[in-house]
Amino acid sequence: MLNILILGLGQCGNRILDAINREAFGSGGTFAKYYSRQKFPASVKTIAINTAINDLKELSDTLAKDRMHVPHLHGVGANRIIGKRVFGENKEMIMGEIDKRGSFDLIFIITSTAGGSGSSFAPLLAKELKQTYTAPIISIAVLPFREEGSIFLQNTAFCLRELVEMDAGGVLLVDNQYLKKYAGDIKSAYDSINTTTARRILFLIEALNSEMLMVTDLGDLKTVMNGGIGVGTMGFYEASKESTIKSAILGSFKPSGLLFPANVYEDGARAMLVIKGNKKFLDLDLITKTVEELSREVGQVFKGVLIKKGRPKVLSLFTLNSVPELEKLYAIAADAIRFEMDKKEQSKKRLDDAFSHIEDLEPIY
Amino acid sequence: MNNDRILAMLVLLLLISTSPIAIAAEGDDDANVILDRELEVGSGVAIEQSIKIEVVEVKTDIIDCAKLRISSYQKPARVISIFQGDSPTEYETSSGTSMYIKVLSVYGDSVYLRVTGPEDWRVTNYYTVESEEEEETKEEAVTIPKLDITRTFDTTVSEPGQVIAVTIKIRNTGNGTATDIVLDESPIRGTYKEDCPTTIEDIAAGETKRASYTLKVVDAEPGTYELSPSILNYQSESGVSFSSESKTSVLEITAAEVLLPAIEVSIDPVDSIMACGDDFPMTVTIRNVGNATSGIVTIKSNLPPDVQVVSGEDDPVYESIEPGESEEYGVTLRTHGEGKHIIDVQAMWADGEAVDTIEFWAEKSGLEQYYIHILAAIPILLLLFWAMKRRKDYSY
Repeated sequence: MLNILILGLGQCGNRILDAINREAFGSGGTFAKYYSRQKFPASVKTIAINTAINDLKELSDTLAKDRMHVPHLHGVGANRIIGKRVFGENKEMIMGEIDKRGSFDLIFIITSTAGGSGSSFAPLLAKELKQTYTAPIISIAVLPFREEGSIFLQNTAFCLRELVEMDAGGVLLVDNQYLKKYAGDIKSAYDSINTTTARRILFLIEALNSEMLMVTDLGDLKTVMNGGIGVGTMGFYEASKESTIKSAILGSFKPSGLLFPANVYEDGARAMLVIKGNKKFLDLDLITKTVEELSREVGQVFKGVLIKKGRPKVLSLFTLNSVPELEKLYAIAADAIRFEMDKKEQSKKRLDDAFSHIEDLEPIY
Repeated sequence: MNNDRILAMLVLLLLISTSPIAIAAEGDDDANVILDRELEVGSGVAIEQSIKIEVVEVKTDIIDCAKLRISSYQKPARVISIFQGDSPTEYETSSGTSMYIKVLSVYGDSVYLRVTGPEDWRVTNYYTVESEEEEETKEEAVTIPKLDITRTFDTTVSEPGQVIAVTIKIRNTGNGTATDIVLDESPIRGTYKEDCPTTIEDIAAGETKRASYTLKVVDAEPGTYELSPSILNYQSESGVSFSSESKTSVLEITAAEVLLPAIEVSIDPVDSIMACGDDFPMTVTIRNVGNATSGIVTIKSNLPPDVQVVSGEDDPVYESIEPGESEEYGVTLRTHGEGKHIIDVQAMWADGEAVDTIEFWAEKSGLEQYYIHILAAIPILLLLFWAMKRRKDYSY
C-alpha cells in the first residue's frame, strides 16, 4: 500500500485538503464524520498548514491534530516575502510535524499560487521535502481569478516559476478562472472547484494503489510528470449510456473536463489515463486502440484499467510542452507588476513633492 | 303550778298535733335509731355498755327542753340541755364515732328521746339513776377497773405467706382489778391467727399486761383492710361489766412477688420497601424484662421461602439471660421475590415464648426495572460519546 502525504497550504490548499478528507468519508454527507471512517484508497496522511488560524478553524472534515498553525499574526497578508521569512522561522516545526507521519511514497502539495502563506510556503516546503524524502512531490497549484488583483497575479507568477524551477516532481495546474464558468456564484465556484480537484486526486491515488487489469503505477506517474516542462493538469470524463469507452477516453481530454485550459493534442508531452468501471463496459481492445491513437498525437500515454462497479470513468493526467495560457497569465502579471511599480513610483513622487513644500522649513513652537 | 300544767298540756296538745309530722320527718331519716322512747327524770340508758344518757331534769316553758347527763368511755360526764325542735345534738365518743340526740317531746317529768347512730349500736341497759349522795357513798366503797387497750403490728404491709406479729398492750387505769377479761377480735378472711389468747389474766389497778400472737396471711386478697378494734370485756370485782376497745388498724396486703423471666423480642425496623436482590440488615434484640434469670433461650426465625440469610448469626441459642440484660444479633438478608414479606422471630424459653414480626415490601430494583431502557440507552450514549469525541477530534 502506498504511503501518501497530502499537504494543504494556505486557505485554498486547506480547503481542497478538507474536501479530500470529506470525500474520503464517502456519500455520508455532513454528519458522516460522526459515524463513519475515512476510506482512503491508500495510506494517506493529511496536514493543513496555515498562518491564518481562522482558515484552519473553518475546516470541517480535517482532524484537529492534522491542522497546523504556523504562528504569525493572522496570516502574512499575501506578502510572499513575509511568508518566506515565516516559513524559515518555523521550518523545523513544520518538518518535525511531517516527520511524525512517517515515510512516504508520494507527496502532494496543494496550494494557491496567489495567496500569501501557500504561495510562499509551497516552493520552500517542496525544496525541504525534496531534500528529506525520495518520494516525488507533485504540486497542485491553483491559479487565481485574473481580476483578483495585481498582487495575486504577481504572487502567481513568482510562485509558479519557483515551483517549476524546483523540479521536485511536477506541477498540476487548477485554474479558478477557467473553472468558475461551471458555477453561478463565487462560493459555489470555489466549492465546486475544491470538490472536483479533491475527487480527481483521490481517483489518481486509488488508481496508483489498486491492482489493475491494465497497470499504471507510481513510476508511470513520475515519468509523465517529468515530461514537457513539468507542468500539466488533469481531465475527467464519466461515460453516459450512449458513450463508448473510446468517447469516454477522448472526453477526458476535452477542455470541458480539464482543470486548466490546454490543448492536449497540440501541447501535450506525456499522459496517463486511468479508466475505472464495470468490466462489461470496458472493451480492452478498443481502449488499447484508442490509447495508441492518442499516443501518436500526444506522445507517451500510460493507461490503467480499474475494474469497479458503474459506468466508465476516465481520469487523464498529462504534462505539456508549452502552456499558452500561462504565457498569457505571465504577460498580464508582468503588466500588473509594472503598473504597480509605476503607480508606486508616482505615488512616491507625489508624496515627495508634497514633502518638498516643507523642505527648508523647521517647526516653530 | 296548775297554770304551768295547763300550759304544758296545751303545749303537749300542740306538739301531739305536730309531732307526727316531726316524727315522720325523723322517721324518714336513714340513720339507725338506737333509742326511741320516753325516759323519766332520774332514769338512764346505756348504749354499747359504755355510753350513758341520764335524764337530769325537764323544763316546760315556751320552748320545752330536757337536761341530760351524757358520759362515755374515757370522756367525763357532761350535762347538756336540748330544746324540743332543735336539730339533733351530736355527741362524739372517744373513738371518734358520733351519735345524735333529739328531744321529740317533753312531759311533766319525762322526755321523749330519739337517739340515732352507728348501725350496730344497741341499747345495752336501762337503769335508774341513784342520788348523788348515794353515788358519792358508793364511790367511796366501790372500785372500778378501767382497761386501755392498744394493738400494734410489727408491719402494716404484708403479702401472702408472711407472718405478722401482733402485740396487745392492756393497761388498767382504773382503781379496781379487772377480772374475767375476754379478748374479742373479728377475724380477717384469708388470715390465720396463731397463739391468740381469748382470755387475759386479771389485771390489777395500774398494772399493764401484754399479749401477743401471730397473724399469718394465707390467701387474703391483696388490698387494704381496716381491722375492727380489739374488744376487751371485763368485770370489776363487784361484778359490774365493762368493755374497752382498741383503735381500728389498717393492714395492707400486697400481692406476692413472683420471680419469673420474661423475654421480649424486638426487631429493629427495616425499610418498608426493599429492592429485590439487595442485601439488608436485620438486628434482633432479646431482652429479659422479667425478674428472674431465664434458662436456655432458643431463637427461631421464620423466613419466607424467597428470603435467604446472606451472612450473620442465624437462630442463636443463649444459655441464659439475666434480668434486665439483653442479647443482640444481626443477620444480613436478601430477597429475590416481589411483594409483601413477613418475618417472624420467635424466642422460646422454659416458661414461654415471645415473637416479633416485621413486614416489608420487595420491589424490583431500579436497575432491573429499567433494564430495557438502560440497555437501549447504552448504545445511544456510546453513540453520543462517540459523536462528542468525533466532534472534539474535528474541533480546532
